[in-house]
Amino acid sequence: MLRAQDLVLDYRSGHSVAHAVNTVSLAVEGGSFIGLIGPSGSGKSSLMYLLSGLKRPTRGNVIFEGQEYSSMSMPGLMSLRRHRFGFVFQQHFLINYLSALENVMVGAVKRNHETAAYAQELLRRVGLSDKMRKRPYELSMGERQRVAVARAMVHKPAVVFADEPTASLDQSTGHEVISLLAEYRSQGSGSVVVVTHDPNMLTGADRVLQMRDGQLN
Amino acid sequence: MENPLSLWHFYLRNKRKVIPVIGILALAILGVVVTDSLLASARETAYATYGSYQKLILVAPRATRDQDLSNPLQTSLSHLRDVQTQLDTLDGPGGISSYYNAVVALPAQVRAQLPLVQQLQIDAGNARYYAARLRGDLVPLADLIVRVQRLQAEQAAFTQLEQKLAQNPTDPTPLLAYIQQHQTVLRSVLPDTAQIGRLQAAATSASADAGGLQRSLTNMGRDTAALNNAGAAISNLPVPPSPANAIDQFKQALDGLTSSLGSFEAPQPGLDQLQAASARIAGAAFVRRDAYSNLDINLLAGNAQFDLYGVDQSGMQRLLNLYGDRLVAGRLPKANVNEIAISEEVARARNVGVGGRVGNNIDELDRLPDAFTVTGILQGPTRIGVIPLEYMTQHYLFERRYQGLVVVPQAGQEQQVHDQMVRLIGNQPFRLFDWAYIKAKIDSLIANLDTINRFLIILVTIVLSLVVGLLNNLFFRQRMNEFGLLAAVGYSRWALIMRVAWESLGVTLAAWGLGVGLGIAVLTWFNHIFIIPHGLLMNVFDWNLLITHTLPIPLMVFVFGMGTVAWQLLRLDPISIIERRD
Repeated sequence: MLRAQDLVLDYRSGHSVAHAVNTVSLAVEGGSFIGLIGPSGSGKSSLMYLLSGLKRPTRGNVIFEGQEYSSMSMPGLMSLRRHRFGFVFQQHFLINYLSALENVMVGAVKRNHETAAYAQELLRRVGLSDKMRKRPYELSMGERQRVAVARAMVHKPAVVFADEPTASLDQSTGHEVISLLAEYRSQGSGSVVVVTHDPNMLTGADRVLQMRDGQLN
Repeated sequence: MENPLSLWHFYLRNKRKVIPVIGILALAILGVVVTDSLLASARETAYATYGSYQKLILVAPRATRDQDLSNPLQTSLSHLRDVQTQLDTLDGPGGISSYYNAVVALPAQVRAQLPLVQQLQIDAGNARYYAARLRGDLVPLADLIVRVQRLQAEQAAFTQLEQKLAQNPTDPTPLLAYIQQHQTVLRSVLPDTAQIGRLQAAATSASADAGGLQRSLTNMGRDTAALNNAGAAISNLPVPPSPANAIDQFKQALDGLTSSLGSFEAPQPGLDQLQAASARIAGAAFVRRDAYSNLDINLLAGNAQFDLYGVDQSGMQRLLNLYGDRLVAGRLPKANVNEIAISEEVARARNVGVGGRVGNNIDELDRLPDAFTVTGILQGPTRIGVIPLEYMTQHYLFERRYQGLVVVPQAGQEQQVHDQMVRLIGNQPFRLFDWAYIKAKIDSLIANLDTINRFLIILVTIVLSLVVGLLNNLFFRQRMNEFGLLAAVGYSRWALIMRVAWESLGVTLAAWGLGVGLGIAVLTWFNHIFIIPHGLLMNVFDWNLLITHTLPIPLMVFVFGMGTVAWQLLRLDPISIIERRD
């Protein structure tokens, strides 16, 4: 479904070149749970940006459902992210003036009663059925991240990309968040790619890929 | 479930931030609406105050040298002093009274033998009589000459003021200085017909008495010579020295003064011919003699002189018909009474009704002399005021001297009549006042206020643009995570810019609507409590002003605020926001 071929991402600073991603190839099959681990600065987040179309590679290509990113325009890539991908980041990035339910609806592509019902269902599943009307500042850090997970899933994306989703959470809350992502995969809704530096969070993953110095081991 | 990213949602959830911005902008727009409307009110009221000129041309005399009494007055006064000194000598010790007493005291025998002595006694008595009369004449005459000299000085100051105002019509400083320095003097010395009549009578009486004294002194000389020829020398009775030369010069000066006074009292030479010629102009509907005057009224932007037309009875009715005005209270002024009829707005401005009084005695800035009783209130599309020509010219020298003409052109013939009038006047000392001239003067006066107002609006717009732009940027920075997330999940930058644009546009439009609405409310209130009661004009619903004059503020604020935010959104890198660890 999602394939990367010989991806290279270089950062230039004067005459020196840093290889954030160095000739990486991988495939994410539909309905799989892929874990990307590695130390800080190993290039795992950069690889996720390349896979999700947030960045264009220096060399190499990414193909999603037969479409090469390199042949897609910027609006095309945006549309892909908007309709087919979901994102969870280390910070929740919830909008402060919206309720938990409204924040989930921000991720929706179609905003109708069915989507709203699904959003409520998602919040129930993540254990926030009684806090749907609460604002982000009224929720705990774990609850906020769970809202962010629901937001990433509300439009039923083909792939959910999660970049260090547990970094700012304690161990048990982190596990809860990962469980939610794993559940999404297990329900057959789509694939999940989780980037983390903590291997304990990836016990349920189909594959765990290790990154070091921009390369997959 | 409504769209959480809808504008309504945004405003509702951010009302604490949005409302103050709307409030600031609305207050600024309110300020612009009020100041602009007041300025427009000043202009419209000024136009209405002088609206009568839209249908008539006023012909007014210019000051000329023949009204200059200063030389005859000064000459008369200096000769009067000479004669006074010589009369003192003539009437002093060894003077005419002593001579008369000596003649009377001559022995009866001498008197019986010489009838010539009898004649000498009569002539000496006459001389003493005329000398005493002349001395009595000179005191009030000197006083009157001095008073009229003061009037001449005022006229000179007035002419100088007129020249200064003609050179720079927008500078009211000379007018204010003139009014401050001269109003008291003007009121005290402005002579009426009776006062000039008194001067004329005193000059004539003094001239006659001087002639009598002259004749008596001549006769005395003749009588003395006859006695000497008859051999009855009365050498012990010396004839007092005759001030013949001084009296001759004095008489001459008085005759010159009398002639000048006659000219001063008459209307401008050529007015009759001009009136007759004007009446023959093909496009002239009617021509009337006009002893015009003014009332002082307030126009918001300052005081102005409301023109009164001093016409005869039929002229009053024709003016009313011309403007479509009508009497709504009282009656028109009578011919020989100090009465006035004015439009209701002017009456309100002066806070008078029928029976009320206006004039220089009531308000010293009124040119209308003394006090006139309001007998009629007029209503109609044009503000006018009428006073009786007969009363004005019979009682006030100034108004008689400065009579003009009211020339009313037929509709559509204004320019042609104006051109014909200019041709008729030629080099004669008259000038024309018509709507084009008056309007240009009003516009010139208001132009300064307009400039100041425009400057203030530009200043307010710039300051507000900076302040609101800054607030917008601060607010935008607080929402950086929101825009970073939306960009990351697939919202295009253009969509984000449009989102912020709609948010800003909504705020500025709401502020604009609120500001204009508040402005209308404030103006409506002000109109009822101040503008209408003071006879001023204000169009509260001047949409051109309400829209075009206020729109630059929200537009500039929007463009400036949006411009800076849009610039940042175009350069937005979602990854740098996602990776921020704050």
